[in-house]
Amino acid sequence: MERSIENIWKEGFLKSDALVVPKINDLYNQKSIHIIDKFKRMFKINLIAIVAFSFAFLVVSFFVGIPITGIIFFVTLSVLVIINKSLLNDLEKLDMGVSSYQYLKAFNQWIKKQIAINKKISRFLYPIIFMSMILGFWFKDAEGMPLGERLVGEILYGFPDIYLVFGIPLIGIVVVVFILALLASFGGRIYKWDLNLIYGRVFKKLEELITDIESLRS
Amino acid sequence: MSSDFYKTSILPFAGIIIKLCRAYTNSQQDFEDYYQEVCLQIWRSKANFREESQWSTWVYRISLNVCLTLLKKKKNNVQHFVSDSITVEETEDNYAFSDESLNLLYDAIRKLSEIDRAIIMLYLEEKSQKEIAEIIGTNPNNIGVRVKRIKIRLKKILDGKIN
Repeated sequence: MERSIENIWKEGFLKSDALVVPKINDLYNQKSIHIIDKFKRMFKINLIAIVAFSFAFLVVSFFVGIPITGIIFFVTLSVLVIINKSLLNDLEKLDMGVSSYQYLKAFNQWIKKQIAINKKISRFLYPIIFMSMILGFWFKDAEGMPLGERLVGEILYGFPDIYLVFGIPLIGIVVVVFILALLASFGGRIYKWDLNLIYGRVFKKLEELITDIESLRS
Repeated sequence: MSSDFYKTSILPFAGIIIKLCRAYTNSQQDFEDYYQEVCLQIWRSKANFREESQWSTWVYRISLNVCLTLLKKKKNNVQHFVSDSITVEETEDNYAFSDESLNLLYDAIRKLSEIDRAIIMLYLEEKSQKEIAEIIGTNPNNIGVRVKRIKIRLKKILDGKIN
């Protein structure tokens, strides 16, 4: 006669080897392998790197004569850090002791929120960084006058008929606007593509788990 | 981790954790990693325990939530949930119980979806439909039907293998 799975389960675990507890050493100091802890670590490392880089760049920018670039970089990246620090705080609040549905849903919502926010930021971040470079070099001192003005002077010398808008060649404005539009358009996509490359499978799996539980809820 | 906390609050429920971690892993190394991670997360989350449920139920929730979202690196360096790709063939020889029927049952359980694994494990641990629904976060009325379906599926997988 076939044994029921309930009997196999009960009888199987009566044997002495079935529930041998693994040895755990120095557990408190172990590095967590859990995805949320990995996210936290990744976020913290990124934020520290951004702070360090923006501060170092601010100092360097004064020495190389492009303080405008350094200041815009520093302010923009500081805003980015503040927003992401607040996202990190939300992640710390996730409670693992709730039901699987609540837990997976909360984690998924956090992921979606942080992707949406950072995608939006990326649309502005890359263009701002590009503009800060343009402005920095435009106002960089070049033998007593801003480099931009000197450059326009050189261009006018070669092409006296060139059309100017507020003293800037129209063709230059068109090129800069085109690059800004490209950066704004692809900034968000680059961020999402980059994140999907690393965590795409995790996101998909989370959605699958939630869908499976939701089918039981209906 | 305070060894007292481990001894008094985790070790008495080690059986639950072991059984669950076994269902989501296919090697001794992964099993030990999962067990350790579950213990670590229980310790870290202990301040969130509000005594609204039994400690054992809460331990089950943490263990299950950890197992469902654990991220391990596979040999090809692609990060994903290990439990997603478990097959019976991949099971290591040294990762087995002395009871052959229990091994076969676990192999069959590992072929189920992650959520079905959780449901059948809780059912086999004699949790009520209400408790299973609370742990997973679903409707208790649907649990009974799902358990029946899972049992049919397990019987099909085990068909003829166990007498």
